[in-house]
Amino acid sequence: MPRATEIERFYDAHAQPLFAFLLNFTRDDADTRDLLQEIFVKLAREPELLHGVREERAFLIRLAHNAAIDLIRRRGTRERTKENFAAETISVFAPANDPDEKIFREELAFALGELPEEQRAIVHLKLWEGLTFDSIAAALDIPPNTAASRYRYALDKLRGRLRPLYEEMKKAE
Amino acid sequence: MMNDEMEQFERRLSRQPLRKVPGEWRGEILAAATVGTRPASNAVRSGFLSTLNHQLSTIFWPHPKAWAGLAAVWIFIFAVNFSMRDKSPVISEKFSPPSPEVVAELKQQQRMFAELIGPRDIYDADRSKSYAPRPRSERVEILTA
Repeated sequence: MPRATEIERFYDAHAQPLFAFLLNFTRDDADTRDLLQEIFVKLAREPELLHGVREERAFLIRLAHNAAIDLIRRRGTRERTKENFAAETISVFAPANDPDEKIFREELAFALGELPEEQRAIVHLKLWEGLTFDSIAAALDIPPNTAASRYRYALDKLRGRLRPLYEEMKKAE
Repeated sequence: MMNDEMEQFERRLSRQPLRKVPGEWRGEILAAATVGTRPASNAVRSGFLSTLNHQLSTIFWPHPKAWAGLAAVWIFIFAVNFSMRDKSPVISEKFSPPSPEVVAELKQQQRMFAELIGPRDIYDADRSKSYAPRPRSERVEILTA
């Protein structure tokens, strides 16, 4: 059984990136909270899971990804409607003071919501976690080439979706 | 040129700050995790239930509608079975044994019928053909005679 301080250390070190990843994946605050709690309860109950783990972050992202996939499967088709609706409203980004930035973040959040979950997960891990394709592949249990191609495909879609706004902001700068 | 633009776009995206995890979650989640480590009976029970729930979800999630349909069919079969069972005493009441008058009448008709057709010669039909093994020579004698 890990000591309470060890769980606290884990939480302080990894809760923020796990939160952002899960929020981007599920597009739902309540689900994100449930999943985050599920992960830390699991770690507290089964400390042997961490034995021999070299990269804690990658391991935790894998746990988070599997838990999120399970949740989405449990939800079923009816709940996907809710998810699609949430994709339009939930933002994974911090609020911005600058109006242009605010609009860009809203549009980006919306565009991310339109991506399939697997592509969204890869984009998130590459752009906001700075993971390599090898690490992403290991975390999501897919081949590195698949991770790279899905990333390119998703980025093209984001760029196409945000192009007018992005070009406008570039001109203004 | 195209690659430069793409890299700029990537950098632009990666600069967007992400939302922070709500501060109040820390206490709640850590409390739940600490409770989860206690070897209390409640924890064990909830652990068992969550495991059972997880196992059932794993089994049922691929085709929940199909499983629900199958369950509905079984419920219907059980319902029909029980309703049939309820009706069985009624049926037995309907087919209660005949009254002594009816029995007497039937016996009377049976007697009359027997008198009309005479005694039945059942002996030939029912008589079993006895077969006693004999020497082959005797059988040939019988045939020739």
